[in-house]
Amino acid sequence: MPESVDIAFVVNGRQAGVRVEPRETIADVLRERLGLTGLKISCDAQVCGACTVLVDGLAVSGCTYLAVDADGREVATVEGLARDGRLSPLQQAFIDEAAFQCGFCTPGMLMAATALLEENPKPSRDDVVAAIDGNLCRCTGYVPIVEAVLRAAEAGR
Amino acid sequence: MIPRFALARPSTIGEALAAYADVGGDAAWYAGGTELLQVMKMGLARFGTLIDLKALPELRGIGVDDDGALVIGAATTHREIERSLVVARELPALAGLEADVANVRVRNQGTIGGNLCFAEPHSDPAALLFVCGAQARLRGPAGERDVPLDGFFVDPFVTARSADEILVSIRVPAAALREGRAYEKAKFRERPAVSVAVRLVVADDAIADAEVVVGSMTDVPVRVPVAGEALRGAPAEVSALRESLAAGSAALAELDAADDLDGSADYKRHLAGVLFGRAGRAALAEAIARA
Amino acid sequence: MSGAVGRPQVAPLPPSPIGETVPRRDGAAKVTGAARFATDLSVPGMARARVLRSPYAHARIRSIDASGALALPGVVAAVSAADLPDVNIYYGHALADHPLLADGVIRYAGEPVVGIVAEDAITADEALALVRVEYEPLTAVTTVEAALASDAPVIHEHAAEERPHRGFEERIERDHPNVCSRARHHWGNIDAAFEGAHLVVEGTYRYPMSYAYAMEPYTSIAHWTDGGLTVWSSCQHPFMVRDDLARCFNLPLSRVRVIVPYVGGGYGSKSYTKIEPLTAALALRAGRPVKLALSIDESILTTRGDGALVHIESAFDADGRLRGRRAEILLNTGAYAENSPLVGRKAANRIAGPYRIPAVDVTCRVVYTNTAPASSFRGFGAPQGNLAGESQIDEAAERLGLDPLELRRRNVVAPGERLWPKARGMDANLEDDLCLVAEALDWWNPAPAGHGRALGISASDAGSEPVTTSLVRVQADGSVTVTAGSTEIGQGSSTVLAQIAAGEMGVPIDRVQLLQSDTAAVSYDRSTGASRTTTIMGLAIQAAARDARSQLVEWASEVFAEGDDVEEVAGGVLVDGEVRDWGAIVRAWFGGAYGEVVGRGYLRREGTTAEMPPFWEVGCVGVEVSVDEETGKIRVERLVTLGDVGQAINPQLAESQDLGAAIMGMGMALGEELVYTDDGSLLGGTLVDYRVPRASDIPPFVPILAQRGDGVGVYGAKGGGEGALNPVAAAIANAVYRATGARLREAPFTPERVWRALHERDDAASGD
Repeated sequence: MPESVDIAFVVNGRQAGVRVEPRETIADVLRERLGLTGLKISCDAQVCGACTVLVDGLAVSGCTYLAVDADGREVATVEGLARDGRLSPLQQAFIDEAAFQCGFCTPGMLMAATALLEENPKPSRDDVVAAIDGNLCRCTGYVPIVEAVLRAAEAGR
Repeated sequence: MIPRFALARPSTIGEALAAYADVGGDAAWYAGGTELLQVMKMGLARFGTLIDLKALPELRGIGVDDDGALVIGAATTHREIERSLVVARELPALAGLEADVANVRVRNQGTIGGNLCFAEPHSDPAALLFVCGAQARLRGPAGERDVPLDGFFVDPFVTARSADEILVSIRVPAAALREGRAYEKAKFRERPAVSVAVRLVVADDAIADAEVVVGSMTDVPVRVPVAGEALRGAPAEVSALRESLAAGSAALAELDAADDLDGSADYKRHLAGVLFGRAGRAALAEAIARA
Repeated sequence: MSGAVGRPQVAPLPPSPIGETVPRRDGAAKVTGAARFATDLSVPGMARARVLRSPYAHARIRSIDASGALALPGVVAAVSAADLPDVNIYYGHALADHPLLADGVIRYAGEPVVGIVAEDAITADEALALVRVEYEPLTAVTTVEAALASDAPVIHEHAAEERPHRGFEERIERDHPNVCSRARHHWGNIDAAFEGAHLVVEGTYRYPMSYAYAMEPYTSIAHWTDGGLTVWSSCQHPFMVRDDLARCFNLPLSRVRVIVPYVGGGYGSKSYTKIEPLTAALALRAGRPVKLALSIDESILTTRGDGALVHIESAFDADGRLRGRRAEILLNTGAYAENSPLVGRKAANRIAGPYRIPAVDVTCRVVYTNTAPASSFRGFGAPQGNLAGESQIDEAAERLGLDPLELRRRNVVAPGERLWPKARGMDANLEDDLCLVAEALDWWNPAPAGHGRALGISASDAGSEPVTTSLVRVQADGSVTVTAGSTEIGQGSSTVLAQIAAGEMGVPIDRVQLLQSDTAAVSYDRSTGASRTTTIMGLAIQAAARDARSQLVEWASEVFAEGDDVEEVAGGVLVDGEVRDWGAIVRAWFGGAYGEVVGRGYLRREGTTAEMPPFWEVGCVGVEVSVDEETGKIRVERLVTLGDVGQAINPQLAESQDLGAAIMGMGMALGEELVYTDDGSLLGGTLVDYRVPRASDIPPFVPILAQRGDGVGVYGAKGGGEGALNPVAAAIANAVYRATGARLREAPFTPERVWRALHERDDAASGD
């Protein structure tokens, strides 16, 4: 039986320590061990982006990123976007622009947009489209999502 | 689900090779994992141990060696290559290619070494690095060797690398003074359907040397000497390339291709011709601009 | 930017959120990750299940040996059909032809054979490899042509029981062993129509097998307690699922509870019953609550959209009026009927388009094949026929020397006019809709070089059955609880229905709580689909609100009036110069700070909802395209959608639905296609190969809402959410023709198919 490994990482600003099997993905650990069910598993093939989380600021597919590789790193999920119960400008912009319908792709979209805005606070429309081009949405047709990200950039994220 | 496996995390190449020997070869080299973990999830491959190469310093970094060759560590991510100022200067076509591999998450996590060793026929970097004369530096129990990419890809998912060898780095010879290198692809799904890479050198207002590699369409990326021949001798003027490109496209129309979800063999051969035209013009424009 | 046309006739009680873009009530939950979907739920003591699936498309099962799996530590149960003698394993709301686990016969590759239950998912996964199944492969058929051949293998040897929820009254007709059902839609003298015609246009068209790709895969949790069954599921019709579960497990309806949390996409693919009976059967055998969470790759093998082969002819007079339309539609419905008998009926109804046609003769055969089962999917038979019908209109226009817009204007029915005998008169102004889209498309100015423009229209007999109920409960503080059996699948029902309730009760929307989709907690609703929720459930809520208000007015008379007049005002009554709000009336009537009034709304085919369909769902779109002739790639340069919704309760949501629907239609027009090998294997059944639209594919988009108050729903509302999908493929095909002269008849219009059509154009031009 392969040995479990103790890992420690920061999730949304808080220390987390878990013992994991090497095969466990960061999505497994976040969803099943830490109760952070915001990120979703959809295609499980790194195509759809519903499982997008940030590791040291970079967007990765949680479904195919081993938890052991998050050891010592900072992980950001959708649950960390709101501060003290207040929605971030990006989250508020998603509501104002109705940038979601069923909501299944939304946590991943928000993290993809967060990674963009952290690196490029004043993106062009093309920048936004490129940043979310790897995140699928089956409901909205994407237009309100792009609008929401631009609106959030205007408001200062 | 990813099946159970043991994980080894060596800090040196020596430790890595020893770890491999310890488990009698029931192991896979692991870096980004974007392709390896995916095939494990799909039940297409199974390994008792994964040996994590990401901590090995020899596999990291992008630089230029004393011969002016661009050296890229195998564990460099697509994103790092895309963003590298060194690559932007030495091989801009590669930076552009890396910016468009799969999606942003795969680029953040996947590595150039993993991509080349996995040898999925529908992939981007192989064709361009091949046409640029790149070499793979391998290290195994028997020592170190360099293998040109021309000959590295043997079959779908099979390379000249022995299972117990680690790909350490890729070395791309420095560009000649007026050398242009370009890559064009057609992509309808997640992976490229057809791609064409062209390298050419201009001297005395004419194309003195040219190489063409077609990727994603055949089992392995393939050099098409006749297409390169067709470009040689053409005047170094983008608007005057039509005849040479047409002759080269005819050579591409002879290539083997498979019918698959991206299209029929006929259509792909046609696309190869179209992409050859676009890449040829782009490579020539770059060569001219470098004067 | 949207253009609103017309205002409703009847103003609701002020203050009212009707017609306001109220922010979605599920917004905070969805943007914080707090929204729970079935995939996020767990129950104490829950075990996990995985399904072993057949690799063969058509086979007999010789033997199943699960002993190896059962010996693995952590495995709780291994279940095949033979282990369920106490269960009616066949379900299906139209035809009960679908066993929850394969019953001796395999009918499609991917069909569930054995269910494994284990302590955790990894153990269940490992156990699958330890089950030994012996198959005897049989010849498979995957195309409608092969399935209809005289020597084709028979997929269903015995006729299945017809069930009452099939959605139409007629018996299910079959005229070949592999025909699941057959529908005919006809009137007038079709032969005369064609004999005297000035022009007959004929063509054959193909529409792909598709995958809805709801991003949340099918997930169910089943829990047996105290003689009852509770199931949580990602499904659209909890009451339909409840019915099937009750029947499968011989339970009274009242002992079965189906709870639906937020649904991560439906689009029809989560209509009716899917994996719930299997999950419940596994929980029964395991003696534990069981969660079955499919992957997307498994979901592709669970339900898909019907592919179609359509042969059509349209006959025209010299002045462009339609004389007749004949069509034969063959739908490839896969291994089980699911909802395809109704899809077939609707396909037959809808191919005549929203046109006045004196003679029509359409037959639609729904054909079994050894492929994954097809069922409801957005558009529901309309997109398949619309590609054919609307392509023909443009083809005819060219041959008649008429503008395609003008040809359509001449033939669409007028408001109030019936499309066919006994149908509800058209409750829309189709000509105005066409002109609005044309204007937004800049129709009367020439397109840029290399660009082509086209518009398309459809009208669907939508709304399903107008059967539903609702309760409006006013609490002692005047706040309002509304029950609605509709599910929140992303369409915004949780907001729109609350808006309606708030408007009807005259209370602020934040004082309204909506309870949804729990068959034990809310009263009956037939379904969430067919674009019906705003219209049908809205009417029920309106009726329940009126019932609550009328009781409250009566109560007010009793406790406040003392002979004075009681006058109803917004949110209460005016009596003796004083306003008494609903809460005050409740408290006074019960004599303390407690109590509630329960208003009931019932809806059935009666009054304004007597005629069928309850409403017509119009789809009207316009596109502008360009084509890269070197590669064949189509680029959509502009997209216009029009939602003819009567009264948009929430305009932002209505426009949003139209864009989503149109982009889905664009997906099937440009690249979405499930491809089967001849032996029944699905090629590339993963998201790596199934190409849905992404952000960089979206063209500049203009949404229009036409609101003329002409529907039966509250304030003149009608349904939306599917219409904009229907005409997209034909509009793109017609626009490509205008841009290049190449005619496309097989969707999706992949670059290769376009490239080949361009060659055919060139060959034809050079006289080859």
